[in-house]
Amino acid sequence: MRFLLHLLAMVAVALAVGFGLSYYALTDGRVLGALRVGPWAAWPGVGLPAPDPYTKAYLSRTGILQLGQAEGLAFTATTDSAGTPLERNCRYRIEGTTPVATFWTLQAQAPDGASVTRPDGLRELESRQVARANDGSLIAYVSPSLAPDNWLEIAGQGPFQLILTLYDPSNLSGNSVSVDTLPSITREGCGT
Amino acid sequence: MRTLLWVVAGVLLGGIIHIVVILSVPAVATHNIWARMAPLAPLNKVVLLPPLKPGEANPLQLDPALSYAVCRLNLKTGPGVLTGTLPDAFWSLAIYNPSGAVSYSITNRDGIGKNLNLGIFNADQTKLLAQQEIEVDDGLLIVESNSDDIFVVIRLMAPYDVVRPRYEKALSAVACGNIKQ
Repeated sequence: MRFLLHLLAMVAVALAVGFGLSYYALTDGRVLGALRVGPWAAWPGVGLPAPDPYTKAYLSRTGILQLGQAEGLAFTATTDSAGTPLERNCRYRIEGTTPVATFWTLQAQAPDGASVTRPDGLRELESRQVARANDGSLIAYVSPSLAPDNWLEIAGQGPFQLILTLYDPSNLSGNSVSVDTLPSITREGCGT
Repeated sequence: MRTLLWVVAGVLLGGIIHIVVILSVPAVATHNIWARMAPLAPLNKVVLLPPLKPGEANPLQLDPALSYAVCRLNLKTGPGVLTGTLPDAFWSLAIYNPSGAVSYSITNRDGIGKNLNLGIFNADQTKLLAQQEIEVDDGLLIVESNSDDIFVVIRLMAPYDVVRPRYEKALSAVACGNIKQ
């Protein structure tokens, strides 16, 4: 009887660890394959000819059209800098410097990738069309309500994610990825 | 004490399950990029991916700022070649193999400017090329592919929406096909 209990416990632990760890690795992947900078996460190996097993599994599972190593890298944020999930009825300030790149875009998407910006408003923020501070840093607002500086208007309710795509980032050339500064995301309040 | 041993055994077994799961995901996934692109990309023809509409699901995670052109090639019938002149804006090109990995990528800043003239050769054709048994144009950028089945994606960034139709016309005019051997 005791043996059977032990065996059941072992199988339960094995299944929980095996599948739990796999699910975690392919969604969040904080410690396993993803590169984390503040609230932003990216899979630095997605554009390599022979990605590591975790990156390969992530690509197969999501089926996204990833950028090649020379083309750039996309960072995703699902939470603000404090770790609270992003909500479409809240106002967020995106502030800081971006790594050197030919250009970048900032998209706001629902979890299925659909854009959550107002249909006839800006599609996304683009580095060539944003206003910057004197030191070259960026202040942008992602918000359903009117905001100063660069405003990406979003609409609707529910969670969303921000995608910051760096195209042709000069400091990502080669296989060593070194991005140490990405903008912070600060929640400034929520509507009803 | 004995219970602890069983738990440790469970964790070890869990580790093995984890490794098996991670390694088998690519084989069992049905929505990988190759399966998604196959209906969108006809053989030897450059097609533009339809523009994203607001609120529409975006499973490929495309960027609405860019225009995308895709062409599928099979190198069994000869080396692949893409030629065309693209606008003086940022563009990049990536070659995807059936496993969904990017085997080669380049941007217009890598010294090729506006002219796209790319030859994609498999290992055997590269050997023939070295023995000068395949005739190619001067200035053809040679890329070796580890797979015969590939698709090529060109991304083009129109700086303003007004020029986008003209840029997309240039993009769809890119020729994509095989060099006859």
